[in-house]
Amino acid sequence: MGDILQRYFEGKIDFEGQKLVEQITRNTLIAATVVSFVVGYAAQSLRVLFGVFTLFVILLSAAVIPPWPAYRRHPVKWLPVKATKTE
Amino acid sequence: MHTLYSRVNNVSAMVSTCLMVLLGAISLSSLLFTADPKGTLSISSIQVFPGNARRYSNKNQDFTFVNFNLTADLTPLFNWNTKQLFLYVSAEYENKQGVRNEVVIWDRIVRRKEDAGLSVAGRNKYVFRDVSASFKDAPPAHYTLKYNIMPYVGVLTYGEAARTVDPVPFPERQDLS
Repeated sequence: MGDILQRYFEGKIDFEGQKLVEQITRNTLIAATVVSFVVGYAAQSLRVLFGVFTLFVILLSAAVIPPWPAYRRHPVKWLPVKATKTE
Repeated sequence: MHTLYSRVNNVSAMVSTCLMVLLGAISLSSLLFTADPKGTLSISSIQVFPGNARRYSNKNQDFTFVNFNLTADLTPLFNWNTKQLFLYVSAEYENKQGVRNEVVIWDRIVRRKEDAGLSVAGRNKYVFRDVSASFKDAPPAHYTLKYNIMPYVGVLTYGEAARTVDPVPFPERQDLS
């Protein structure tokens, strides 16, 4: 039971998943910065700017922080256990 | 990025950096707004009365009372990065020793664009007295309306919006009898 809870709260994803998450985060945040500044400047409102940015951040967090199965498609292939020579 | 906690950590760090960039961009955008509105300021009446300095009741002090008319449309100063305008009317004169005096006699904080079209018939809010306790030798003074733009993010900027056309002399001290 404790084992299941720990796995749930750890939310591990494999290495390919981590690379994907890093890419998604970086690209989305750069886009969010540019888009929110342009939209806010056009509307001449700081409220619009930060509202758009917050929306981007919330969507990004929902897409990237929970350990979705899409980030677990390439689990690490461990080698089979080799019989060790006992002495 | 392998655990939930490290993803939260990473994302929040990148979000903070992006926020810093946005704040820098907002403060730089204030440089694009160069408005220089002008208005008019005229003195309708000015009187000098004797009195006592507040702290020392045996010390004589001259007090000047100024009534002024002020019109100015400062709406061009409001952009997305303007939090409020601090306006102040000050009297400027150079005394006999050549020292420049500037006394703020009235001020107002304007928080909305709608309140920025000024038409004020006011009198000095603050006590107008001279360092030497007498206005006898004070030369005619210019009265100016200055503003301070306070942004949401960025540097404070100052400007002058109105000035009396001719310097206004200080009248003779009136007796209160």
